Amino acid sequence: MSNSIAEVSALKKSFGDIDAVSGLSFAIQQGETLGLLGPNGAGKTTVISLLVGLLKPDSGSVLIGNSICAEVGAPTLTATRRMLGVAPQALSIYETMSAQENLEFFGRLYGLSGKKLRDRVNWCLDFAQLQDRAKSRAETFSGGMKRRLNIAVALIHEPAILLLDEPTVGVDPQSRNHIFESIESLRERGMTILYTTHYMEEAERLCDRVAIVDHGKLLALDTVDNLIDQYGGASTVTGALAELSQTIEIPGELTGNSIRFSSDTPLQDVAALSAKGVTFQTLNIARPNLENVFLTLTGRSLRDG
Amino acid sequence: MNQVLVMAIKDLRLLFRDKLGAFFIIGFPILMGIFFGMVMGGPSSGSSRAKMKIAIVDLDQSSLSAKFVSLLESNESIEVIETELELAKEGVRKGQRLAMLVLNEGFGETAGIFWEKPPTIQIGVDPSRSAESAMLQGMILEGIGQLASQRMGDLSSMQDMLKKSRKQLANDQSISSGNRLLINSFFSSLEGMTQSIRALQTDADDSSSSPVGNGGFEFAKLKSIDVSRKIDPASQPGQMKKIKSKWDISFPQSTMWGVLACAAGFAISIARERTQGTMMRLQIAPISRSEVLIGKALACFLSVMLVISFMVGLGLLLGMRPGSYSMLALAALCIASCFVGIMMVMSNLGTTEESVNGAGWAINMVMAMFGGAMIPVMFMPQFMKSLSILSPVKWGILALEGAIWREFSLSEMMLPCGILLGVGVAGVAIGTRMLNHK
Ligand SMILES: Nc1ncnc2c1ncn2[C@@H]1O[C@H](COP(=O)(O)OP(=O)(O)O)[C@@H](O)[C@H]1O
Ligand SMILES: [Mg+2]
Repeated sequence: MSNSIAEVSALKKSFGDIDAVSGLSFAIQQGETLGLLGPNGAGKTTVISLLVGLLKPDSGSVLIGNSICAEVGAPTLTATRRMLGVAPQALSIYETMSAQENLEFFGRLYGLSGKKLRDRVNWCLDFAQLQDRAKSRAETFSGGMKRRLNIAVALIHEPAILLLDEPTVGVDPQSRNHIFESIESLRERGMTILYTTHYMEEAERLCDRVAIVDHGKLLALDTVDNLIDQYGGASTVTGALAELSQTIEIPGELTGNSIRFSSDTPLQDVAALSAKGVTFQTLNIARPNLENVFLTLTGRSLRDG
Repeated sequence: MNQVLVMAIKDLRLLFRDKLGAFFIIGFPILMGIFFGMVMGGPSSGSSRAKMKIAIVDLDQSSLSAKFVSLLESNESIEVIETELELAKEGVRKGQRLAMLVLNEGFGETAGIFWEKPPTIQIGVDPSRSAESAMLQGMILEGIGQLASQRMGDLSSMQDMLKKSRKQLANDQSISSGNRLLINSFFSSLEGMTQSIRALQTDADDSSSSPVGNGGFEFAKLKSIDVSRKIDPASQPGQMKKIKSKWDISFPQSTMWGVLACAAGFAISIARERTQGTMMRLQIAPISRSEVLIGKALACFLSVMLVISFMVGLGLLLGMRPGSYSMLALAALCIASCFVGIMMVMSNLGTTEESVNGAGWAINMVMAMFGGAMIPVMFMPQFMKSLSILSPVKWGILALEGAIWREFSLSEMMLPCGILLGVGVAGVAIGTRMLNHK
């Protein structure tokens, strides 16, 4: 596609007998948040490593910006390296340095200095909401604070693409929420993000498009809505009836006054029931989600791993 | 290059932030250097109170020379061994003897007889122990004085003998008046002499007084034999004589402990970069892998230089006086290079901090033990001494000592420095190769 900023095609990487990535192709569009959704061991981290050149693919190619990187393993061009900001799945910050020192060190590595460096460090501290703990060593931080710093460090040099590898693993709900908000704010600024996760809620909330991967293969890639439309199956309608009527035919199961049925057109069905005089005490229409999509595509649940 | 500096500064900062690591790099060497410096004591303290060991070569073999030897032996401050000329010289050269005396043939004929030509005693003294040898010369002359008084028997009877001689002289008409005058004055001086000896015997306990002679009269001529130039500078006593302060041995040794701690500290820090995931960030950053390693190497190099400078500075404060600062700088550079190489290999000896730490210190301990950082090499049993050449610590200590007190010339520095540099280069090569295999 014309406005893709990074692209992998027919990417393969195996570790001994394990095919971690087997023939993966996708492109990241400028300004989108692309999710890589798959259970543990699906090959998400391996894809990121191949993208940034930490690993060399067995075959296939990686394109970042305009430069082809895969042949040489790591992107050799400094300009290419500068385009990438990575928050690895495993925390990668200096525990015995403060938040500020971590940011300054990596900023300098990317060639920042003086006022520019100070501005960026401040921006990142704001972003991670660590201003008041800027001078504290990372080893004194909570898991969530470390995660936030881990992401902030990836942003110090204003990369064109941000690669986030399971950024919410091991994070308390409050920090998790904060991470979501900060990623949403990055989206609004038009940042291009590759976001890997095994939580379908995160993919649904944050991603413009989601690539579903399993066993190193791409199973589907589309917007959340399209994926659900295509693979989600029927919605589930559950509720309790106000009064039981012998004359009206109720679809699905009826236990006591509780009803439960599946439908591709749940709203129409409920409206039709109302029109026939059925009154509901409670009513719940559950749209299918990515969990259902994954189930349809693999026959397994995401959470099974 | 800028990036390398950024790396190095960060690593130095982290190194000294690790309190235990910093203790081993600076605190431990200080404690060790001072403790062992005090235990070992200075170059001459202690030995001055011990007996002065001298070798005597008795070429005269007369009863008088034997008497003289036994007189010296009776002096509590002197330990005498009779030996041959060459053995005696050897003894002084090796520092086993403070001095050697040669009693020439004919010693017995003239020694202790005032009107005869005084006997010549050849004396060869260890030049580094001049204070003691001055005392010894006094004691030798005292011995001759005692010999004289014994030879003359009772001094009063000698005075009688002198008076008798004078009378005979006065009555002897065959002596010209001029000669008579001369001989008279000679007898007068002899009389004064005997009185002096009396005085001397009363304060004979005072060993510091040196009866070099009286009234222009000599008991003995001391002719010196130069033994100093023949000292083998490579021999242990030859070397030990150059020690100027009690810190000379302990500081090079303890400095090497700091150097070992630097190597281990940085090896661990490379492992830590891997375990805490920051190595991944470094690999992604626009800095090459070799720049990352050069940064580490530079930080390690600088920290070693820092430790050596610090220990030398502390030594200076305590009274250590390095012989050559340029040699010291050379030694420091070579030691730093060597241990950068060792650090690079060490960093690959495990995958976790703990395993690198364990392996690193195990190697350090062996290098330290065989290299003389625990017991100085010269005090080691022979088998350890021969193994010590395998330890870079030995060469590090030797290079430091060469600059501080061994008075090494540039060419003498070449051996330890060449080995240190060689180990450094090999270490870097092996270390990077091991890393590339991972
Ligand atoms: N360095 C490696 N050596 C051997 N196997 C690996 C390595 N990295 C990943 N794998 C294997 O490759 C597969 C994909 O791993 P990964 O990319 O980490 O999955 P994910 O990030 O989706 O959880 C897994 O089966 C994992 O065990
Ligand atoms: Mg992963």
